[in-house]
This record gives sequence, C-alpha cells and structure tokens, in this order.
Amino acid sequence: MTLQDLPQSSTVRSRLAAGLRDILPLAVGVGVYGLAFGLLAAQARMSGLQTGVMGTIVFAGSSQIIAVERLVAGAGAGAALLAGLALNLRLLLITASLRDEFAGRPWWQVLLGVHLATDENWALMHAMRARGGCAGYWYLVGGGLGLVAVWVLSTVAGATFAAVVPEPKSLGMDFAFTAAFIAILRSLWSGSAMLLPWAGSILIVLLAGRFTPLDPTWTLILGGLGGAAIAGVMGND
Amino acid sequence: MTETWTLILGLAAATFAVRLSGCLLGRRLPDHGPWARGLQALPGCLILSLVTYLLMQGGPQEWAAGAAALTAALLTRSLPLTMAAGIAAICLIRAYF
Repeated sequence: MTLQDLPQSSTVRSRLAAGLRDILPLAVGVGVYGLAFGLLAAQARMSGLQTGVMGTIVFAGSSQIIAVERLVAGAGAGAALLAGLALNLRLLLITASLRDEFAGRPWWQVLLGVHLATDENWALMHAMRARGGCAGYWYLVGGGLGLVAVWVLSTVAGATFAAVVPEPKSLGMDFAFTAAFIAILRSLWSGSAMLLPWAGSILIVLLAGRFTPLDPTWTLILGGLGGAAIAGVMGND
Repeated sequence: MTETWTLILGLAAATFAVRLSGCLLGRRLPDHGPWARGLQALPGCLILSLVTYLLMQGGPQEWAAGAAALTAALLTRSLPLTMAAGIAAICLIRAYF
C-alpha cells in the first residue's frame, strides 16, 4: 500500500457519511422487515437480547427469517441453520465481486467490510459508481453501519412489541425492495454490451423457476453466474 | 433456549465463513480476460436475477407495479422516487383492482 492510497481521515468521514445518507430510503424498507422479523422471533420465544445478538453477528435478513421460520415450524437447530446458510450462498458472489475494494487493505478492514456487505449497500455502491459517483470501501461500510443499526433496532423492537406491529404487505412495503433493485438496475445499465448477459440471466431464472424444482437460492446463483459467464465469454474489451 | 443460541452462533459463524470465502475467492481470480469480465458483470446479473425471481413470485399486480417503478427509474434515475412510485403503485392496484 502506497501513501496516496491512504485516504485522509476527513475523506474517510465524508465517504462514510455519504454511504450512510444514501442508504436511508433502503434502510426504511429494512426497518419494516426488521419489525416483521421481530414478530417471528417472538413466535420462536426469542428474547430481545437473542434477537439483537442475532441481528448483529449474523446480519443477513432473509437467512435469519428462513432459519427462525424453520425453528418455529419445529425443525431442529441444524436444519434451520442449513436453510439459512443455503440462502446466504449468494453472499459468496457479492464479496467475491468486492475484490478491488478490499485490495491492499489491512485485515481488520477486510473483516469489517465482508461482515457489513449486504445486497442493499453493495448494490447501492455499484449503482453510485456506475453513475460516476465516488463510492468505494468507506461508502460501503457507511451504508452497512446504517443498515446494521436499523436492523438491530427494528428487530428488537418487533420482538418486544410484537402485539402492535403491522404486516409489511398491508403497507405495500413487501414491494419496497423490488422497486429499489429496479432503480439500482437502471443505474447499472451501461450500454448494449450488457444486453446478452442480462437477457441470459432473465432467461435462466425464468426457465429454472418454471421447469425445475430448484430452490430459489440456486436459481438466483445460476442466473447471476450464467449472465456473468456470457459477459466473460463474449470478450470485447 | 439452548437450541436458539446454537442456531444464532452457528448461523453467524457459517455466514461469516461464506462472506470471507467469497473475498478469498475473488482475490484468486485473474485481473484480465474472461474471468475479470465475468466478475465485473456479476453484480448486475445477480441483481437482475433477484428482480426476475421476485416478479415471478408475484402476479399481474406486482408486474404492473414493477412497470410503474421501471418508468419512474427511467424518468428520474432516483432511488427514493422509484421506491415511492413502486410502493404507491402496488398500494393503489391492491386497493382498486
């Protein structure tokens, strides 16, 4: 690592703040899902402490939902763990694609960065950069810190005040992330070279979802890898 | 009680291992050529797969709201406005159709 790679602490602060600010609309959606997860945690007889610890050290919403739902359904801890883990395999692709952000960083920053990497702040970082914005490691971490705070607070609140929490669907909030990812896709579109890889991804997901009994996790991974493979093989750089 | 703690600690360890493995895997891939191009295209393809899957799970109501969100995204290129348009559209459609 050379000297100019070390950002000034004021630059670090401003990037952290930018990540934190830009994640806000997504954090509202995460908060609503946090409340819903808290409801589920209460059904699993989890305490506020357990819910908060889980949100902090697992920090992967959809896998927490699946795993605790399995627990409520009477599956053992092992089966619940496997279901949650399967859903998290896509995180492997997410942190793999963060290679350039982690290059040359000290080990504690890498460990912090991988733990805070989620669909939301990772996608937002790529979208921001595709639009010409300056978004890298600290932008990702700023968004991640905002998300972890909102996730822990909302899940603990949901578990504690389970009786008065509304269903996300009744507020249309079940659609919040679909809309957010559509906006992020718009920012990631960078020209006709992406037409074939993107069409490939859509086709793979449609075919796998329609004609195979594959679990959603594998469908997503197949779609993502399939599109990336097309982009790799086409080779026009 | 102990079953819950087993799940929490086990899932935390497994999830962190997955996140760290991805990082180590990314480091081993070459900088140029097909692998690098694939890795660069991966975010968009993965997010698109997720959106396709989410819309497949829904029905005509979700597809119409998705079209509204896409229109907002194309016109405004703004994340908050696109989210607002999508959520407003799904609420209106569910209330009136």
